Amino acid sequence: MNVKKLTRLALLTTIALIIFMVEAQIPPPIPIPGIKLGLANIVTVYAMFALSPGDALAVLVCRVFLGSVFSGQLMTLFYSMGGGLLCWLVMLLLRRLLSKKQLWVAGVFGAMFHNVGQILVAIALTRTPGLIAYLPVLLVSGILTGAFTGLCAQFLLAQLDKIGQNGGPAD
Amino acid sequence: MKTQKFWLFLVGAVLLVSAVAGMLVFRGRTGAATASIYQDGECIRTIALDDVNKPFSFTVEWEDGCNVIEVERGRIRVAEADCPDQVCVRQGWISNSVVPIACLPHRLVIQLESAGSGVDGVAG
Ligand SMILES: [Zn+2]
Repeated sequence: MNVKKLTRLALLTTIALIIFMVEAQIPPPIPIPGIKLGLANIVTVYAMFALSPGDALAVLVCRVFLGSVFSGQLMTLFYSMGGGLLCWLVMLLLRRLLSKKQLWVAGVFGAMFHNVGQILVAIALTRTPGLIAYLPVLLVSGILTGAFTGLCAQFLLAQLDKIGQNGGPAD
Repeated sequence: MKTQKFWLFLVGAVLLVSAVAGMLVFRGRTGAATASIYQDGECIRTIALDDVNKPFSFTVEWEDGCNVIEVERGRIRVAEADCPDQVCVRQGWISNSVVPIACLPHRLVIQLESAGSGVDGVAG
């Protein structure tokens, strides 16, 4: 790992963390466990498609961990990590299927599976299968917020491409 | 742009199915409600909501946090909690809803179960 790559990952993690912390201050409009905008997803989509899956995973895991510590929500670390890993996995599968004009699809499926992962961890930890009742609403919210964050990442990537600042894999 | 259309169609279909399923779930009703309170997977208390004559409340502790649960005839809610997200409090009263109240940071779930079997049907 060279200095350039390390710097870039650290910067991305910082950006994702700031987005996450700001968003944590805004209460979700609907009181359903797990519903949120998930703006930090923009960074995950960007890293997955502009850099590499490994880079995306590193940024994601660091952000989820540091985010839980800094926001004092260590209790929710398992839920976020479960969601984050499933989100990463589904984006990895989609990576080869999607063109640069279809990053919004990665955002949609990433957010949907983030919510699925979260609810699965919640069911496992609380051992109450009834929590599955939240799933349809979480899927709807995942699709809507994911389309938004995915489009943001798509737009960001297109702009960076235009000014030739995308770099690609640094190693 | 054929694939773009494919993805739009797929996402649209999933959205539609989820929205319909969500509406059905949120309109689903249990029968005569018994509230079961689960903490970390253990059922720590069951309350027959229709037999409650005098409203009461009690506190459930979890590590260094707690939830104050309030019960009235036919309904139950989390009145106060010191969890960071406050989602459980904002979920408000439930009286015959299939959708449970959950405080994930405190691993607490309040679920309504009818004496019979699960969902009794859909009512507006
Ligand atoms: Zn709570």
